Amino acid sequence: MTIPGGESLGDAVDSSPLAPGPAASAEGPGAAARPRPAARHHWIVRLTHWVNVVALGLMITSGLRIFNAYPAFARRGESFCCYPFAGKPIPEALTFGGWLAGARNWHFAAMWLLFANGFVYLAFIYLHGEWRDLVPRRGDARDMWEMVKFYLFARREHPHQGKHNALQKSAYFSMPILGALAILTGIAIWKPVQFAPLTNALGGYVWARYWHFLVMLGLVLLSIVHTVMVFAVDPYSLRSMITGGYDDSKSPEARNARPFFWHRPSAAPRTDGGLDT
Amino acid sequence: MTPMNRRRFFTFGAGSVAAAALGACDSFGPRSAASLLKFAERKNEQLERWLFSSGSRNRFANTDRLSGRAFPRYFVSETIPMWNEAQRGVWRLEVGGAVRTPLSLTLDDLMKMRSVSQRVDHFCVEGWTARAEWTGVRLSELARAAGATSDAEYVDFQSFDSDYHESWDIDSALHPQTLVAYGLDRAMLGPGHGAPARVHSPVKLGYKNTKYLTRVLFMPTRSGGYWSDRGYEWYGGV
Repeated sequence: MTIPGGESLGDAVDSSPLAPGPAASAEGPGAAARPRPAARHHWIVRLTHWVNVVALGLMITSGLRIFNAYPAFARRGESFCCYPFAGKPIPEALTFGGWLAGARNWHFAAMWLLFANGFVYLAFIYLHGEWRDLVPRRGDARDMWEMVKFYLFARREHPHQGKHNALQKSAYFSMPILGALAILTGIAIWKPVQFAPLTNALGGYVWARYWHFLVMLGLVLLSIVHTVMVFAVDPYSLRSMITGGYDDSKSPEARNARPFFWHRPSAAPRTDGGLDT
Repeated sequence: MTPMNRRRFFTFGAGSVAAAALGACDSFGPRSAASLLKFAERKNEQLERWLFSSGSRNRFANTDRLSGRAFPRYFVSETIPMWNEAQRGVWRLEVGGAVRTPLSLTLDDLMKMRSVSQRVDHFCVEGWTARAEWTGVRLSELARAAGATSDAEYVDFQSFDSDYHESWDIDSALHPQTLVAYGLDRAMLGPGHGAPARVHSPVKLGYKNTKYLTRVLFMPTRSGGYWSDRGYEWYGGV
């Protein structure tokens, strides 16, 4: 360790058990334990993902039950421009909490789960570096357009991507932003007098309630598209969000997969060295 | 029978867990969650009382529209509660409990006290709001007149609308926009809105604002309330 410079660094790399080298292959294909690849998603990301499913599910369904107590936006004696379904309650099957008070109790309890979980997730990806896979970069708009073209068969080859494709990236980046907006608009309708400046900045209580509803719709839409795409394009990623394991040879890019249009990758060439072929 | 491989195991396992979770709860949620929800409500109340500022104000422009006749009328009795003078004598508002000089005020007495008129929002727990101009006496004025003592940590607002009442924390009760109101939109309060007098404040949800008021009781402890005892949060702050 006292030897400075590249020499000691080279030693360290050579002696690393993870480094593929002549020593490893000399033991023969049967004896060599393949280096276990790092989990595609860190366990904290996997845990917060599934906690988020529960927390968002509770918040949305209890929120819809609260909404059903007055399924409209207009102040009494006024009209509201922008909600065509006023007076029509949300189907009960999509709601949770049983009645207004029950739904409120769930909503105001589950909000802490959502908040704490979101905080842990964001703090983790900030400290651990995963945020780099999600923040928009120059060229993302063009890459998103290329993905759209690919999905619409206007382009033959899957665009080259990092961990996520450009469309995914924008969706996963929007999710915490919508979450933050849900919390902000939620505070504005929870405390419109104590936080009057916030509520007023959102256009008053009626509008704040409307923004809260729209943000919810955005979250629902993203979640639905996300879930459909998991099954339609990359069901192999389901495993990566449970155990962390992911086979890159089955990635959508490797399979040139479009939603609902891809083949099982059994015949696809392995890209991990193919030690067991 | 197909052998159980890993994928099948996960699918089957997830299905079983979901079925068990759904079986254990109706649309109200699992029963075991009740204590957790109560715990969350207590913690939320602590936070809300800490956030509460007596300097907070609910305001809107003088030119903004009032709800007028569209302001909902609401009571829990079978029929609209009316004070029957023949049976019960002249209506009086009793102010008592942790006070030095209990008061018994006729409507005239109340109207002779220093009054305020304010245009504020009414926030219903259901999600709607309505706007009106309320005229009445600040609760802080009544507390001063009766000489509420330092034991008065809570206030119970009682009514002649069946057994309707709601108790408040003293801070919200003494907020400058908390009134014992006898006027609505520059007219005397009508029977649909809680005549002859009611509590009105933008700092509490509608159900905390007792109508058909008979008694203001300053207390060292809280005493629940009509809707608070039926599952709605006791604090109900806005």
